[in-house]
Amino acid sequence: MDKPVISGDTIVIPSDQEFLADVDVFLEGTLRGLGVDESIIADIAISVSELVNNAIIHGNKFARSKSVTIKMAHNGRTLTISVIDQGTGFDPGHVPDPLSQENLLKEVGRGIFIVRQLMEKVDIIPSPHGTTIAITKSF
Amino acid sequence: MRLSDRIVDNIVILQPKGKIMGGPDTSLLHDKLHEYIEQNKKHVVIDLADVDWMNSTGLGILIAGYTTLRNHQGELKLANVTDKIQSLLTITKLVSVFEAYDSVDEAVKSFSKT
Repeated sequence: MDKPVISGDTIVIPSDQEFLADVDVFLEGTLRGLGVDESIIADIAISVSELVNNAIIHGNKFARSKSVTIKMAHNGRTLTISVIDQGTGFDPGHVPDPLSQENLLKEVGRGIFIVRQLMEKVDIIPSPHGTTIAITKSF
Repeated sequence: MRLSDRIVDNIVILQPKGKIMGGPDTSLLHDKLHEYIEQNKKHVVIDLADVDWMNSTGLGILIAGYTTLRNHQGELKLANVTDKIQSLLTITKLVSVFEAYDSVDEAVKSFSKT
């Protein structure tokens, strides 16, 4: 694939950060359509951007032939968004503590920590064929 | 993200706009900072008033600017930090790293006190 494909509540993008903005436009538009508060939209948009960056960089290792899938679902006023890569099972749960003094001025390594702070639930499901991270937030 | 820049009282003011999420625009701030360092302008304020939100890539860009300037005997300060970014700085403990001011004017004036 060479450009994003949208189908219902799902967007699939080639593994390239140039498509982060496409994900954001799709995501924020869908959330506004559901009447989600702007502050919560920002929290979700930040979190999804972290997960898509992780999927492209660490999961798919910038292989443009691979894709990243972002699926949205809502049950009542609870949103679940899944970000799925096609890598070999990177587990972003195992990263150094970004709050420790020796890591405080590191430029990277805060992504999943921030997601855990902003979302109510984060499920990481690694597999040899790719990692799925599902985040949950009420609105 | 878009980036504009200007000089006030010999202090560089950088004003990113939009969302800082990574990707093609990530190097904009880094490249602009290095342009000014080469011109021996090492006192910088980043005005965050028009940044809707940023993720950890954005925080990494701020840290890179902070350490780059510090390594060149310069200084980076923040102005107009929005609630959303303040919240991120707090949960990541980076609030203890960055000097932040309520306005660009206050941030510029603070350089004359150091």
